[in-house]
Amino acid sequence: MRQLNYANAMREALMEEMNRDERVFVVGESVLGGSFGITTGLVQQFGPERIVDTPIAEAGIAGTGIGAALAGYRPVVDFMFADFMYIAADEVFLKAAQWRFLHGGKVNVPVVFFAAVGGGMMLANEHSRIPCTLVLHSPGLKLALPSNPYDAKGLLKTAVRDNNPVCFFWHKLLLGMKGEVPEEEYTIPFGVAEVKREGTDVTVVAVSNMVNLALAAARELEGKISVEVIDPRTLEPLDMDTILKSVEKTGRVVIVDEDTERCGFAAELGFQIQNKVFDSLDAPIRRVCAANYPIAGGYMEKCVLPQQSQIKAAIEAHVS
Amino acid sequence: MALTNDQLMKLYTNLVRARAFDRLFVRRLAEGRLLGFYHSSEGGEAPGVGTCTFLRKEDFFFPHHRGHGMPHMISKGIDPKYYLAEHTGKSTGMCGGMSTFHACAVEYGLYGGAGTLGSCFPLTVGLGWAAKRNGRGQVVVTNFGDGTSNRGTFHECALMINNWKLPVVLVCENNGLGMFVPAKFAHPVEDIASLAQGYGMPGVVVDGQDVVAVAEAVMPAVERAREGKGPSMIEAKCLRFCSHAMGIPDLAGSEIRTQEEIAELRKRDPIPLCRARLMEHGILTREDVERIDREAAAEVEAAERFADESPVTVPSCLEPALYAE
Repeated sequence: MRQLNYANAMREALMEEMNRDERVFVVGESVLGGSFGITTGLVQQFGPERIVDTPIAEAGIAGTGIGAALAGYRPVVDFMFADFMYIAADEVFLKAAQWRFLHGGKVNVPVVFFAAVGGGMMLANEHSRIPCTLVLHSPGLKLALPSNPYDAKGLLKTAVRDNNPVCFFWHKLLLGMKGEVPEEEYTIPFGVAEVKREGTDVTVVAVSNMVNLALAAARELEGKISVEVIDPRTLEPLDMDTILKSVEKTGRVVIVDEDTERCGFAAELGFQIQNKVFDSLDAPIRRVCAANYPIAGGYMEKCVLPQQSQIKAAIEAHVS
Repeated sequence: MALTNDQLMKLYTNLVRARAFDRLFVRRLAEGRLLGFYHSSEGGEAPGVGTCTFLRKEDFFFPHHRGHGMPHMISKGIDPKYYLAEHTGKSTGMCGGMSTFHACAVEYGLYGGAGTLGSCFPLTVGLGWAAKRNGRGQVVVTNFGDGTSNRGTFHECALMINNWKLPVVLVCENNGLGMFVPAKFAHPVEDIASLAQGYGMPGVVVDGQDVVAVAEAVMPAVERAREGKGPSMIEAKCLRFCSHAMGIPDLAGSEIRTQEEIAELRKRDPIPLCRARLMEHGILTREDVERIDREAAAEVEAAERFADESPVTVPSCLEPALYAE
């Protein structure tokens, strides 16, 4: 099958959706040039009316997307870094997320908040966050986190077609990751997890780049511990059935989350698992998350963000 | 632009209706029969009425929060009984009883009500972008206060709407007062409209107690926007007779207004001002005045009956409202 990298998979998704639906457009700072190469050159095909370059005005950019979505368009708001989304917190969390609900379902906000997330590049606290918890704390938003090129394309196409606001968080360490991406049309439904690797001893749940670290850790333990790795792909909606089925089989769980540990997704998922299948658990649930610090820069970054070695250690601790 | 006699009558009628509903909301809040809080528009109805009475039904608009936008909504053609029903938690409310006080009437160009002041501005950019693209000749008109112009979002909006030449009219209702302090505490300039110049768009000041002056300033700006000539800004200098919200002090900790000062302000009530002018020109008769008052009272009574007889919203509404199919 054809090989495509993660960046080009997303680029292709945007192009296909823009060709498919005139209402789709991209708006954000530097989208003409394309800070990560994803939208570079698209203006030649779609024109400045649909590849809309903006001033540095995140609230205004988010509002451009939300207002246009209210009026029937399907904007992809490119925040560049998810950290910059904080500047438009009112627009994202109080408007896009809640506008439909608050107005009794009378309006829809079909906007995609497209943003680079995650650490690993020593970019420190304002260019490295993966704000999953923040998003999940706002019912009304959906959250997609592709871990590979195939998912990146399929999930982005689904995000653009969704009638709700979707945070599409792509991981910057994966930009150059190559993988199989078919030439023919496909989409990936939200709320359907993928079992990335089957195993019988321990279930590891991870999203985004943590999936790749979890898979690497599982490979290291091959022959010693049989690890099942599950990638939910979207955290809202969340495919609990696939996770619970795995837990019922293995009885042991490690939840990996690149976001800050405290009050995070791992805590939430851990609670839900014990609440639903307590009797299937053979050991306390373990989690590997970012430490409860801001994301440090320089060589200190790796002391804050979850590492492959920590995932491996958590799996080993389960069966020792 | 010269307004016809019918148009002038319409402005006066909408002022009276807006005041009648303001009184109703003040009364019901005091009686414990209105949910949430209420920010009276008494004395400051003219900017909303003058702005919205002659907009097209499909034009987008964001009302000011005084009177919870009723001067604007009533003038835009929205039946206020659906707003009262919303404010009383009823299923017949404009948001199905989900919002207490946020308004929504999509068919009239009201795509939701913002609670955080200044969040109307980014959405104004988006609606303006859509209006420019969709070829339906729509205009976005956003009313806000002097205090709201403090927000960074105002400045982002002013920058973006003129940069992209969007069909937007910004109407600042400057009543000279923040919650507890005079507006001058927050502004180094006398006229908010002067900010428009920095963003390269026209900005004019009008007497916001004069509903005719407001309409005569807003309508050319709306037509200018509709013709694709870009956005503009109007500042209506208006008054606030009461405190920021019902049940809280008027100004506090700053330049507190005396009863005499407020009585002096009340001499510039927009309704008698408009009435006197129209009667002087023989456009409005004593009979008209009485009829308009009577009709407004009947409308209020019917709205109350509608809201009071409507059922309270049921919890099964929550889940389907969260996500669209």
